[in-house]
Amino acid sequence: MGAEKKAKGPITGMEAGLSVCHECRKVVPVHGENSQVRCPRCGSSMHFRKPESVTKSWALIITSLILLFPANFLPIMKVDYMGAAQYSTIMDGILYFFKEGSYGIGVVILVASVLVPVFKIVGIMMILLSIHFDIKSWLEHKTLMFRFIKFIGRWSMLDIFVIALLTGLVDFGFLSSIAAAPAAPFFCGVVISTMLAAEVFDTRLIWDAGGGKEDGEVDAGGSMDGQDDLDSGL
Amino acid sequence: MNLKKILVCPDCDLVLDYSAPEPGQKLSCPRCKCTLSAPVEDSVEKTMALALTGLLLFPPAVFLPLLTLDVLGLESSGSIFSSARAMVESGYLFTGVAVFVTSMVVPFIKLLLLFIVSVQIRMSRSGKSTICMFRAYKRLDEWGMLEVYMIGILVTIIKLLHMAKIQYDVGFFCFIGLLSATLLSSFFLDEVFYWSRMEAQAGQYLSPEASSVGSPAAENGYGR
Repeated sequence: MGAEKKAKGPITGMEAGLSVCHECRKVVPVHGENSQVRCPRCGSSMHFRKPESVTKSWALIITSLILLFPANFLPIMKVDYMGAAQYSTIMDGILYFFKEGSYGIGVVILVASVLVPVFKIVGIMMILLSIHFDIKSWLEHKTLMFRFIKFIGRWSMLDIFVIALLTGLVDFGFLSSIAAAPAAPFFCGVVISTMLAAEVFDTRLIWDAGGGKEDGEVDAGGSMDGQDDLDSGL
Repeated sequence: MNLKKILVCPDCDLVLDYSAPEPGQKLSCPRCKCTLSAPVEDSVEKTMALALTGLLLFPPAVFLPLLTLDVLGLESSGSIFSSARAMVESGYLFTGVAVFVTSMVVPFIKLLLLFIVSVQIRMSRSGKSTICMFRAYKRLDEWGMLEVYMIGILVTIIKLLHMAKIQYDVGFFCFIGLLSATLLSSFFLDEVFYWSRMEAQAGQYLSPEASSVGSPAAENGYGR
């Protein structure tokens, strides 16, 4: 990496000795890699790259991978009807909607509780592996995928919220009641650990691996989009 | 090198020339397409008003019943708070606390912090504590999950539709209001503007240690 520093690729903040604050995005000139600098604006500690972010991401992703199995194979909901308890897993709940003919809602739950967690784990693992193997292609797509993973992260809590609401609402004593079942805490664990894995990961590492070589013709200067492109925020 | 004219992309570390975009425009990184700045007109006032709206709607949305079920004359109703409590009481402490935190505690703290920060900026009174509060807001941002909860309510309704008569209560409508206020408050929040205002206002309060110890920034006089 050091040898090709002077290559024609775009200049990064690390090469220029400019560190950008994780919290408030202030640009601060920093000399030397190990100096303990605090952001003059917001006081948070500054680093060129989030420290140990790959290791931390791996640890959290492996945690969520382990939790994924009990979360999906243990029952997540218990329905008491006339004294008889019936347990159902996430998959049972989805199949129930498909049998009932509510395909739309079945797909929503399938996506939120099964596909999203699996996609998050596989996606982050792919990005981490590509950093390990110094893969220099698809940089923009990997960044885009990471942003998408970060965005969808919280939506897996859907099933937990539904169970909480059902527990609170359906309480007719002996006649019928609903409660959570053993998979629920594991499922929560998957959501929390994947969200944290995305949180600790530093997207700049994707671009470091590429050495900014993908499109060398980029001239420094932000691109300005018009009014109709204001699709940020939500 | 004039640091005011330079921007470093937080997502791919590209060094960029900075020219402030107009309200309605959006500045994004040419390499990774990260949004760098998207100014909003009257961001502080809009955000403040929406955060206050959210705070006022919060107690009824959370504590008043959302829905009432009617099965063969038997009625049962529940609120967001009672649902989280029912989960804890049924023995699922971790899950119950997770629901409690993501659907009530974090959304409330977020609105409160955003309101206080906006008021302090509006009154030109922001200091070190304002900066701490705004940092806390950014940290908590994705852990408030009201919109996910809204979809959860819809799924619940569809699940119960054919086995019970469902009546929508005050809490349901307050929750829709709370959700809208929360989403719009973060939509109108212009972070770049907030940070620059806080920096300008808090500059006089920042202790010299904070900006100079081990930091070469002071040499450039950029902390001033």
